[in-house]
Amino acid sequence: MPEADQVTQSQGRRTGVVSGFGVASAVLALAAVVAAAVIALMWSGHRAAVSERTYQARSMQAAAEWTGVLINMNTDNVEGSLATLRDGTVGELNSGFDASIAPYREVVKTLRSRTTGKVESVSIEEVHRDPDGQSGQRTPASLAPEFTDRTDTVLVVATSVSENAGAKPTTVRWNLRLGVSDVDGKPMISRLESVK
Amino acid sequence: MRNLARVLAFDVAGPLAAICALLMIGVMLEWPLWWVSVCSILCLLIVQAVIVNVVLYRRDSVTVGTDDDKPGLRMAVAGTAAAALLSAAATGYNSWVKPDGAFAADSADVVRIATEVAESTATFTPSDPNSSIDRAASLMVPDRAEAFKAQFGPATADMAKRNMSAQAITISAGLEALGPGSASVAVLMRGTQSAPGQDPSSAVLSLRVVLSKDSGSWMVVDVSPINAR
Repeated sequence: MPEADQVTQSQGRRTGVVSGFGVASAVLALAAVVAAAVIALMWSGHRAAVSERTYQARSMQAAAEWTGVLINMNTDNVEGSLATLRDGTVGELNSGFDASIAPYREVVKTLRSRTTGKVESVSIEEVHRDPDGQSGQRTPASLAPEFTDRTDTVLVVATSVSENAGAKPTTVRWNLRLGVSDVDGKPMISRLESVK
Repeated sequence: MRNLARVLAFDVAGPLAAICALLMIGVMLEWPLWWVSVCSILCLLIVQAVIVNVVLYRRDSVTVGTDDDKPGLRMAVAGTAAAALLSAAATGYNSWVKPDGAFAADSADVVRIATEVAESTATFTPSDPNSSIDRAASLMVPDRAEAFKAQFGPATADMAKRNMSAQAITISAGLEALGPGSASVAVLMRGTQSAPGQDPSSAVLSLRVVLSKDSGSWMVVDVSPINAR
């Protein structure tokens, strides 16, 4: 048989015809190239999925930390807490921060309240329905597209207990929808909404 | 020129592709110990073959790629590289594509089921007191469904006696965590309760719905208020 193969090969070379081995090698090489291309596509898709999950986890972390500061504001740390909160915001929430938070600052200072809060749940919003009953998926971005690639909505449920001077402790339940925008790779709070 | 192309294709690219494919399988499988062992052996065999090829080239001035009398060897090289790459593609499909697709599908499924169960647990119609409970129980694991019916049965009977009704509408629902076999969903609802002669009262309810995957379908394991303290 080897002799027969040699004869065939020699004849193939002489006549310039591609041998059966050559055809098989070409087919296998083609299969290898296709498989390599498929692997590249799968790699790319998987990287995108992993990045998406990593970014969502970072958004949840940012929202939880920001809410943690918000619900643990005391007379002693109100200025520092507000500065931290302001630094974590972007867009209209940031530009209007001082004006919108001023009454809250005064209340905390006047009541001399001591608040301890705990974040109970953080989740990436998958479904949102308008309170009027119109259903829809995901709230549109609250930050202009030129400033951010994306905005995710994070739901935060928290509980805080405020002890005001001379009054009974008050339990506050926080049901928040936070817009978390990607600003130069950093998740920042761009929208704050209380679910009522 | 022809020989250079053959050397690049069969003596360089072939072994390199096979080694890359074996390493890629390791990445896809996240390097279990058995694959570290298998991959080491296979890579070593390929490297040995390359070294033999180089030694033979120095002796005979011919390589696997340029030897016109050994077309079968070239086919073996192409076959080995193709087999390794096709195996890597199959492993990638099982390790990456299927789980990523399942994650996306599961996200939608668990949120849909969680909102349905959460709404059912806070909805009550005096004319059909058991309909919501039965609907919620049908989406729960059997043990939990029985406990749920036993827990809410007396309360619904009392509400039916007083002709009270309750309605819950999901405002938002989000995914807290999702794994291959378990999930946790936070559901924020607006619950409205009304009784004859009284103004309806409404409040925001936040529930955590825990689910597990049983025989390929998601079932509710637990429903509890998030901020109960």
